Amino acid sequence: MSDVPTPQDPRIEQAGASDESIQKVHAILLREKPEPKEGYTPMPLFLLGFITVMIFVCSLYLIHYRGGFSPMVYDERYDPSKAGANAQVAKIDPVAQGKRLFQTCAACHQATGTGVPGVYPALAGSEWVNGSEEQLVRIMLHGLAGPVKVEGKDFNGNMPSFGPGGGYNLTDEKVAYVLTYIRQEWGNKAAEISADKVKEIREKSAGRAKPWSAEELEAIK
Amino acid sequence: MMVPAPSLATSLNPATSTAEVKRAELREIDASTKWPALFLLGSAVGWLLIGTVFALISSFKMHSPEFLGNYEWLTFGRARTAHLNAVVYGWSVNASFAVAFWLMARLSRSVLRHSGLLIVAAVFWNVGVTLGIYGILAGDSTSIEWLEMPLYATPLLFLAYALVGAWAIITFRFGKSPHIYVSQWYILAALFWFPWLYSVAEIMIVFTPARGTVQALVNWWFAHNVLGLWFTPIGLAAVYYFLPKVLGKPIHSYYLSVLGFWSLAIFYNWAGVHHLIGGPVPAWVQSAGIAASFMMVVPVIVVAINHHMTMVGSFNALKYSPTLRFIVFGAVSYTLASLQGSSMAIRSWAEVTHFTHYTVGHSHIGMYAFFTMVMFGSIYYIMPRILLKEWPSATLISVHFWATAVGVIIYVVGLSIGGVLEGLLMNTPVLAHKLGLQPTDDPVPFLDIVRRTIPYLVSRSVAGVLMTVGHIAFAINFAWIIIRSTQPAASAPTLFRSPPDMEVAAQ
Repeated sequence: MSDVPTPQDPRIEQAGASDESIQKVHAILLREKPEPKEGYTPMPLFLLGFITVMIFVCSLYLIHYRGGFSPMVYDERYDPSKAGANAQVAKIDPVAQGKRLFQTCAACHQATGTGVPGVYPALAGSEWVNGSEEQLVRIMLHGLAGPVKVEGKDFNGNMPSFGPGGGYNLTDEKVAYVLTYIRQEWGNKAAEISADKVKEIREKSAGRAKPWSAEELEAIK
Repeated sequence: MMVPAPSLATSLNPATSTAEVKRAELREIDASTKWPALFLLGSAVGWLLIGTVFALISSFKMHSPEFLGNYEWLTFGRARTAHLNAVVYGWSVNASFAVAFWLMARLSRSVLRHSGLLIVAAVFWNVGVTLGIYGILAGDSTSIEWLEMPLYATPLLFLAYALVGAWAIITFRFGKSPHIYVSQWYILAALFWFPWLYSVAEIMIVFTPARGTVQALVNWWFAHNVLGLWFTPIGLAAVYYFLPKVLGKPIHSYYLSVLGFWSLAIFYNWAGVHHLIGGPVPAWVQSAGIAASFMMVVPVIVVAINHHMTMVGSFNALKYSPTLRFIVFGAVSYTLASLQGSSMAIRSWAEVTHFTHYTVGHSHIGMYAFFTMVMFGSIYYIMPRILLKEWPSATLISVHFWATAVGVIIYVVGLSIGGVLEGLLMNTPVLAHKLGLQPTDDPVPFLDIVRRTIPYLVSRSVAGVLMTVGHIAFAINFAWIIIRSTQPAASAPTLFRSPPDMEVAAQ
């Protein structure tokens, strides 16, 4: 604190500024280091090299993944010169898609497809699942309510609609996937259901606002 | 060189040395910033406490959802949003206004004119933030990240900002300093960047919404740039000032300062798109964002070298000076946060970590370990200068430092590990299987993932409690220095321990 004026300092006495209050006011400032300045050390050479490399690498990256600078390209690996020749629509496995969708159904029908005795009918081995497409698609689209016999056992419940008007409102494709899945899992061996078939039935039963009953479905076949 | 202004010291004592004249001039400048700075910092500390309470509530809710579950106003969506807005617009912006002002006035060697108007602006700002957070809690949130405040609050904020920004620029304009110091570049640039960001984002998202994904693009451009083009420059300005100021040596290299500033200005603006990797945004925009995020390594390394070389040989000073300890902690965190941020722009890594707790951990290195710690350090330096009083308790400062530093480290480590685990299970189950994190390579049900992250979420709450302790210690010290009337005779600075020569003695 060598430079802090003490009351013995001749400068202070001369100026009559020995008033303690003024000294106090200045004390905090007097002990401060001077306002900051900048040094002028040159930039290290390695830094220049590093920046050059960064610019080079980042430019390569941008050029490589530019996607033709097109507003229509969303996949960075898209290459317009190869597009067309390699154009290939990925094949969708309906069973795998259906398995994913079935997580919703498994809440009642269980992941094993066995249902819950007396409450939710089994899907494994069920004549409704393996039987008529017309009936199965309708159940899925609009739901099923009231008494129904499955594999010789009686059930009386409510299955919600997964089609128009229901909370799920699945597309034709999704209905087809999940039905194909339940028709080919747990030992079931019925034929695949196509999205076109679902569409056809959806149009036929357009306007239906309430779930089917088993008798109505029996009449359709 | 400079013509000494007729100041208090020269008018009393013609024999005063130039150094003393300069200091007396500083004293007058500090005095002119006193009331606005005090009001802004006081509000900042108040918002910090409020934000901390909401932070704790939301953190507890993550692992104990039934906690305060019966109050509509405190549901997670509102409490977490209130936390974000209170700490960003309440604490951080208030603190950065005060620090930016005080630095600008000192470095320009210009007395703050009509400081009463600034207090009016500060009142507007805080009324706006209060209204905004009330709106969020009442359910009026716009649900746009970082812009959640409802429409009836935002024009007030803009008005307040316009006044504050104009005043800082006027202060700079009336400055007497022939040299423009690096901190001033950052503050000036930030003062222009923020209103540009905020007004464009408000107009394109809230007032006359742009169509479709352009909104998402604008949202992330804004949210990321508020960090990079407002909080980062203000934080760096403070580091660039306090590091050499406390140590009493010059900043290592002017050339590095220039390079760091301009590379930040050029590249940061592009980087926000990396939040939309894999999203419905044209591939080239994403790639440009990723390339710019990598390029951000340049300003970060340059600034880190500049700061580190300034510190070299003075690490001993960390034992004594509270300001220096907070500032250095912040500067190191800036480097870490930025390098981590660049790495998070890598496509395959973003697929794992984005939308997980990892990102939350990252944002807290940036906003807390860097920015907030730097603001704490700055406040420890500024308050004694504007009040002409010393901090009452070194113990409380010590508690503040250790609780917040250890707290944020636990926070970040816990959430980073938990976030990567979450991301691997959620987004890349096959990779998670290969790494032995789950027995099969099937998708993992969401709730199972949530259960596995609970230990890490609890660690976050523990860290939150620690940080709260630190904030309370800070708030007590802050209130105490304002209300204490007695001035210790020696006027020694409050340091962690008695130093040989720290923050003490001129030249």
